[in-house]
Amino acid sequence: MKAPVATAVAMAVGIVVLVGYFIPLSIFTGLRMLLLQWAIILAGAALFVGMVNLSQHHWARIRARRGVGSAWLVFSLWATFFITFYFAPASLPTRWLFDAILLPASVALLGVLAVSLTVAAVRLPRRRPGLFTILFLTTTVLILLGSIGIPGVGSLPFVSNLLRPWLAQVPAAAGARGILLGVALGTVATGLRILLGSDRPYSE
Amino acid sequence: MASLLSALVAFIITLSVLSYVFFGDWALFRVVMYLFIGAAAGYGGAVALRSVLWPMLFRPLIFQRQLLALVPLLLVALLLTKALRGKVSRWGNVAVGYLVGVGAAVAVGGAVRGTIFPQSVATMDALNLHLAAQKGISPFEFLVTGAFMLVGTVTTLAYFHFGARPQRNRPPQRAAWITALATVGQWFIAVAFGALFAGVLLAAATALAASIGQLWQFLSILLPH
Repeated sequence: MKAPVATAVAMAVGIVVLVGYFIPLSIFTGLRMLLLQWAIILAGAALFVGMVNLSQHHWARIRARRGVGSAWLVFSLWATFFITFYFAPASLPTRWLFDAILLPASVALLGVLAVSLTVAAVRLPRRRPGLFTILFLTTTVLILLGSIGIPGVGSLPFVSNLLRPWLAQVPAAAGARGILLGVALGTVATGLRILLGSDRPYSE
Repeated sequence: MASLLSALVAFIITLSVLSYVFFGDWALFRVVMYLFIGAAAGYGGAVALRSVLWPMLFRPLIFQRQLLALVPLLLVALLLTKALRGKVSRWGNVAVGYLVGVGAAVAVGGAVRGTIFPQSVATMDALNLHLAAQKGISPFEFLVTGAFMLVGTVTTLAYFHFGARPQRNRPPQRAAWITALATVGQWFIAVAFGALFAGVLLAAATALAASIGQLWQFLSILLPH
């Protein structure tokens, strides 16, 4: 058996946390909260280790004279880290960093996504012609028309009032509900395989 | 002055990111991406250290002498061995196993209590005529809509049924009635993804408008009125 200690730990803590979810006894819920708190600490440490690892990787690239971008990354990483750590995440200097770098870059990236998605939608019928593509694109266009209307004309009476709400609340909701249930059943099956030790993604 | 500098940096970053639409993955875009990833990683690391590790691990251990905090400290130490080379890195599997075990349990609990129960109840309620009376909808309209929802949910679920019987000299195939249900389910999935796509496109278009608005706002400060 590979990684017996890790398997035992994963199974034991997993079953205790799961029992804490479904049996409302204070001993189980208390234990679940404690184990979850430790997992949060471990996840925080993993995030910190990931940050250090990213910095090490790009530092090696700088030493090998292979990246101007890596120098920018290491500089911005440690500058942001020290400013945020020293002044606190809600402080004025950290907010300045957030407003000047993180927020505009995130919003602009999302804006670029709008262009990419539009190009992808236009190319879709040529790449994958078929009935489902037509249905997919027709639904998209109807929902968009129902939500924002046509510039200069305004909202379209039948599409905005009847068709868009019906599409979103009946067939789309039914499909989304089926997908959600499928994902949830898949999650339960995968989770139970881990808790029973059949899957061991932590063993090398 | 600080706000003007912030606006200038934001302007340069927004313009560089949006330049991807015209010039693709060019040098300035890449530099800004490195800057963004570095800042995001540094921010995440600092928040993890300041808001998680310090108040939940180091402060109880150092100032309150809570010996129970030694357990997560041991797990963190085991996790750090993953960065080392050789057999010692195997001890890190225990910490990863702990995270995976808790994650699996939380996922199972969340899926059962947060999705399977509520979504199943909502699907069953689609045919509950008492709700039609409460909502003031005619029973006929309520039943037709409910039946449509039920068919959509069941057929979409059938699409995700991958069980198949082995057949002699032929690849395994799923039962004919499941295939028929799955074909209907595909229609509902196409509509659901179309609606989701429209939602994402609307959100992204709003972000694009906000970015362009920000650029215009900065330029209007500089330009003479």
